Amino acid sequence: MSELRIESLAKRFGGLRVFQDISFTLPAGALLGVIGPNGAGKTTLINVISGRQKASAGKVFLAGRDITDQPAYTVSRLGLSRSFQQTNTFKSVTVAENIARAIRFGRRGAPADLPRMLDEFGLTPRLAEISDKLPYGLQKMLGLVMAFACSPQTLLLDEPAAGLERSERQNVDTFVAMVRKAGASVLIVEHDMDLIRRLCPRILVLDAGVLLADGTPDEVLARPDVIAAYLGDSEEAH
Amino acid sequence: MHNKPALFGWPELISVLVLAAGFFVPMYTRSVLVYSILNQAFIGVIAAQSVWIMLRMNLLSFASPAFMAMGGYTVAIAGQHDITNALILVPAAFLIPALTSIPLGAMVLRLRGTYFVLVTFVLSQILQLLLFETPGLTGGSNGISGIPPVTLFDMEFGSNKMVLKFACGLAILATIITGVVTRWFRQPFAAIEENEVLAESLGLVVWRYKALGFMVSAGVAGLAGYSLVNMLLTAHPTSFESGSAVDFIAYTIIGGRATILGPLLGTGILVYATNLFGTHGQYAQGLYGVLIILVVLVARGGLTGLVQALLRTVIRRKA
Repeated sequence: MSELRIESLAKRFGGLRVFQDISFTLPAGALLGVIGPNGAGKTTLINVISGRQKASAGKVFLAGRDITDQPAYTVSRLGLSRSFQQTNTFKSVTVAENIARAIRFGRRGAPADLPRMLDEFGLTPRLAEISDKLPYGLQKMLGLVMAFACSPQTLLLDEPAAGLERSERQNVDTFVAMVRKAGASVLIVEHDMDLIRRLCPRILVLDAGVLLADGTPDEVLARPDVIAAYLGDSEEAH
Repeated sequence: MHNKPALFGWPELISVLVLAAGFFVPMYTRSVLVYSILNQAFIGVIAAQSVWIMLRMNLLSFASPAFMAMGGYTVAIAGQHDITNALILVPAAFLIPALTSIPLGAMVLRLRGTYFVLVTFVLSQILQLLLFETPGLTGGSNGISGIPPVTLFDMEFGSNKMVLKFACGLAILATIITGVVTRWFRQPFAAIEENEVLAESLGLVVWRYKALGFMVSAGVAGLAGYSLVNMLLTAHPTSFESGSAVDFIAYTIIGGRATILGPLLGTGILVYATNLFGTHGQYAQGLYGVLIILVVLVARGGLTGLVQALLRTVIRRKA
């Protein structure tokens, strides 16, 4: 099974420290939320784990295999996919071609649940449409479905609900449920606390590049240091 | 959702047929001017296709003159050793630049955008400097002259008519190579062109396709160099000035990036315009520039893009 293990991971851009000494484990089939204020290093963490950027220190293991600093295509083919914070599709081609490219480039075959997922998010009747013409919410869901179409064992989601209307956010819940049903583990970076509370049995809090807390949502969100990280110190908060 | 790409489509077929018309031109005229313009056009088409291959991956390469020089000098040096057989020289003019592009590609293909443009431009300048500074091999500033004409079986391509036919044949060969490669790798190339980061994150080995495209582009440029040297019967560093890359890029942009017809159309129009404006002496460059500005303003997708848009409008209105 595909356990993701992060050991003392750090990232610097020259003299600027983005994060340091991040360690955690995402067991196979588990779901983990990562929260933190803007600039905490969440997206960079996903970039480093997925091979988009190189680590400054530390190790990333996928199913026991060291994948630190492996290129993104290798990481993807080993079964770790990611989605992006912004809508990220091939905008000039059809929805069908977007999905086909994800399957083709991933080289792991299409997941069995893919047609059902396309149905679920209303993409099946729009397969022939150019993806750029889709409403924002559907483009966002298409980006998520493309990450799933690579048949990952581990999926990193970078703010999947960002920019979605309240009514559309339920789709993210459904998506995560379907991915987990397919046996994949999920790491989800998100600002929407309702969504995090609903979905994640365990969350990590990053603040200024440091792992501040690790626990259940109720435990973590009740901690004064986490509240201070989100709202400023208690005096400012008042 | 998964279709195997066709190796040849209508744009490729039309390109080959238009170029093949060049074989029949000597039946209708012996005008040296016509032969000269057509030779320039055939060489330009090949060089523009070399640029176009890289543009399929959103990489604007100024390295074509460098690879043209490699192909041209390969033929010239072989000619000094009485090797004139096209069956040897055509593969050599393609393979030597293509193989040289592998280590060069390892350096420059990491770069994107303006950095890639700048480094490929510098590459062409360095190669030109090398041509000047290695007289033992390249003849230095004198170049290599007196190159014997190409031979193929019992034919010698020495006369104006035969030089034209040889240039025409090379242009067709370059079109077939370019067409097959860009068709076969259409999806990965298109994915890289549109969103390289997403393509790589989905598992596409982007560097492999970029390296392959760079190799084929270099090889095709080498064929343009062969054609140029065969026309001039001389290989000289000034024939491969880095600035000529601007012309080849202009041919491609003006013609349009969408299909292989773009470089053909752009080259045809701009080579003709260059010769037409050439009769206006000092105004020639200005007129050429005005033409390019006009086309870019009216048709941002190039002339083929404009035609496609017009056709779509007509079809939509009829529907």
